[in-house]
Amino acid sequence: MKKTFLSRFIAVSAALTAGLALAGCGSSGSGSGDTTTTAGGDTNSSSASVGAIAVVSREGGSGTRGAFIELMGIEVKGEDGSKTDRTTDEALIANSTNVVMTQVAGNVGGIGYISLGSLDDTVKAVTVDGTEATVDNILAGTYKVSRPFNIAVKGDVSDAAKDFMNYILSAEGQAVVQEKNFIPVDSAAAAFSSNGAEGKVVVGGSSSVSPVMEKLAESYQAVNPNVKIEIQTTDSSSGMKAAMDGTVDIGMASRELKDEEKASLTPTVIAMDGIAVIVNKENPVNALTSEQIMKIYTGEITSWDAVQ
Amino acid sequence: MTTADSISERKSDSSDFFPKPSSGRTQRFIEKGAEIIFLLCALISIAAVVIICVYIFAGGIPAIAEIGLFDFLGGQRWKPYNEPAEYGIFPMILGSLYVTGGAVAVGVPVGLLTAIFMARFCPAPLYKVLKPMINLLAGIPSIVYGLFGMIVIVPIVRNLAGGDGNCIFTAALLLGMMILPTIIGLSETAIRSVPESYYEGAVALGATHERAVGTVVFPAAKSGILAGVILGIGRAIGETMAVIMVAGNQARMPKGLFAGVRTLTANIVTEMGDAGGLHYDALVATAVVLFGFILILNLCFSVLTNKKPKEGKSK
Amino acid sequence: MTMTGFRFDMKTYKKHPLSFLFMLLVWIAAALTAAVFIAVVGYVLIKGIPQLKPSLFAWNYTTDNVSMMPAIITTVEMVGISLLIAAPLGIFCSVYLTEYAKRGNKIVKVVRLTAETLQGIPSIVYGLFGMLCFVTSLKWGYSLLAGCFTVSIMILPLIMRSTEEALKSVPDSYREGSYGLGAGKLRTVFKIVIPSAGNGILAGIILAIGRIIGETAALMYTAGTVAQLPENVFMSGRTLSIHMYQLSREGLHTDDAAATAVILLITVFALNGLAEYIAKKLDKNKL
Repeated sequence: MKKTFLSRFIAVSAALTAGLALAGCGSSGSGSGDTTTTAGGDTNSSSASVGAIAVVSREGGSGTRGAFIELMGIEVKGEDGSKTDRTTDEALIANSTNVVMTQVAGNVGGIGYISLGSLDDTVKAVTVDGTEATVDNILAGTYKVSRPFNIAVKGDVSDAAKDFMNYILSAEGQAVVQEKNFIPVDSAAAAFSSNGAEGKVVVGGSSSVSPVMEKLAESYQAVNPNVKIEIQTTDSSSGMKAAMDGTVDIGMASRELKDEEKASLTPTVIAMDGIAVIVNKENPVNALTSEQIMKIYTGEITSWDAVQ
Repeated sequence: MTTADSISERKSDSSDFFPKPSSGRTQRFIEKGAEIIFLLCALISIAAVVIICVYIFAGGIPAIAEIGLFDFLGGQRWKPYNEPAEYGIFPMILGSLYVTGGAVAVGVPVGLLTAIFMARFCPAPLYKVLKPMINLLAGIPSIVYGLFGMIVIVPIVRNLAGGDGNCIFTAALLLGMMILPTIIGLSETAIRSVPESYYEGAVALGATHERAVGTVVFPAAKSGILAGVILGIGRAIGETMAVIMVAGNQARMPKGLFAGVRTLTANIVTEMGDAGGLHYDALVATAVVLFGFILILNLCFSVLTNKKPKEGKSK
Repeated sequence: MTMTGFRFDMKTYKKHPLSFLFMLLVWIAAALTAAVFIAVVGYVLIKGIPQLKPSLFAWNYTTDNVSMMPAIITTVEMVGISLLIAAPLGIFCSVYLTEYAKRGNKIVKVVRLTAETLQGIPSIVYGLFGMLCFVTSLKWGYSLLAGCFTVSIMILPLIMRSTEEALKSVPDSYREGSYGLGAGKLRTVFKIVIPSAGNGILAGIILAIGRIIGETAALMYTAGTVAQLPENVFMSGRTLSIHMYQLSREGLHTDDAAATAVILLITVFALNGLAEYIAKKLDKNKL
């Protein structure tokens, strides 16, 4: 008796799960069917439309969003000092780069923007005003959508912190920056020579800066093993706050510092980061102008047909 | 609740009548000391809450005063990054209510029925498998649920209902799944703690197994079950990391079951990191509103638990 | 309490269609719960197991090999220390409420209300509170200890609430019997009441373990996110879920994040098992 119920129970739950899984596969299955028809289409008008645009944006405080809306003209400043972020209310708000990428990768009509350093083959970067988002183009100044990576310190710092900062801006440090797909600020920096400091340095802040900072810390500790570097990954503003109240020695921000932050902190730009505009891989659109992007993000254009 | 209280009262009174062990004074001294330690523990918990309350209210109330209570609670536009900024959290209040309501609609029936199953229907071998499964579900971090929701549920909803799949429905479904283990765990304990005589009495009067469980055992476990449901709702209202990945987070009035929505918690988490000044305080004030929600919820349930027994007895 | 067993008798059900419906609903609900489990856990395993590789368990975290070993150890430490703080506090508090406090005592009402209120506070608020209180004001900096105290406050209501329910469900006759045999109140509480309520208390502790392991927002701002193993409680470290969150955040290590999810599940499973084992041990010793 018991056995029949056990097996029936297992069968029912398995069937329910299978139902879920099938529906899931159905969605990805129909998606991959589209790929074969549209892949290889180089021009924008090659094939069937992908329909409505699903706008994906970052949360208001994100450094990526701040730079993006300013550069794309989505934020307008009035003469009286007023600022209006015109990003459409319908935009889906993602709170991390990964969520933006997953949403765009999973939705044929999706569009989003991410740090160039995070770009991979799950999504497709479009050209902006005809220029590809690459490190070289940003260095040459032709790709305009970029923002600074800042570190900020309060007043006098320890010798160890100073030594680490010198390393970041040295030829070796800037080479690490370039290796991680970010743009070095000083291509002709001098080679690094340590001041021989010892101690612990706590670095904290933006999650966008953190991956490159970890790499920098590792290669620095290879040169000067007497300094221990601790990295706290939170976000730009928390990093600045922590630097102000002394919880961290060096704060990291993936944006310009605000005025109230500048009052007590000294920022240093350590790298530039490009912002790539991404769409689904099945989307035939490969190029957008900054005006089109602005109209998409302000909700004026809601269908991909309008930009093909 | 009331019956339990009277029981504990009877208990503490009756203890005085029972003879104490021989070594009188030291014994009494230890007893008294222990009581004081227990009381201290209770007071520490109160202190923890009071400190947090002070911290939240000190940040939130001035902000509400500055924005204006009605502009804050009733305002339909949340534009903290504009100059001048607007701080209206009405859309988020509605968002939280809809999503939590949906989660309750999904999670509570399934959770309670499963708890009944676990306590009264489950064959022993199956129980050995199911119980650890539910305990494990309780321990799955919300980001894992979030990723699951984003990668598995969102595409399904997108295919079935159109839109982009990040909507109230998805969020409610996911939250409903997340509160299951909380509800099941506590309700099962409550159902199991109902004296066996209740069940036997009902069966002896000719009730079927189901009838005995459904109409006698289950109502008798009400206090514990409600505790579980409250915990579950609390978790649903307070949940952030998972909701944020599937709800869409649009800070505008909700536009239906299959359109995106932002909850109060999502509002706090997405913007807290990069907020400063009044914006920061406005987010803390959002926490004050959440706080108010929980208080109201608890009051409602304590009223419910106090009233129900009278109706139950008339049956 | 014994299992009443399952009887399936079609004749009875024909006479009582409502009973049949109820039985059906109960089974369906259980099947649904199991389906949720299979779907979520299956998803984690399918995504994560192919990504597991031995190098993820190296002792040191580097940017090239994002090992989770330090995070696993930190998680266990975090759970252990937090429970050491919160479990006695929570259990003693409930003991006071159910066994000592007289009816109508104001403290009972206040504690109950506060506990219920604590549950509704989103974890990010705990995080910001912990940061202000422990990290900044007490100058502990980002540290394990700051994280432990923050999550202890967070899990306190969970433990209190479930312990209280469990203590209430201990039949009064147990206590009367104990008193009758000449035991004092303290002895009754520790030898009779708490052991008989063991299962309910355990349920609360398991929920609490789950909450600690799953916590990200509250810990990020208190325990910090340093990827290396902390040498003492005043150093910063990351738990597994923070590790996973950080890995997936910038979309650079999503595969390793999937692998971390598998280990997270195994850790929860193991800690649950351990809690159950300890409870059983205590049960045997006490009764």
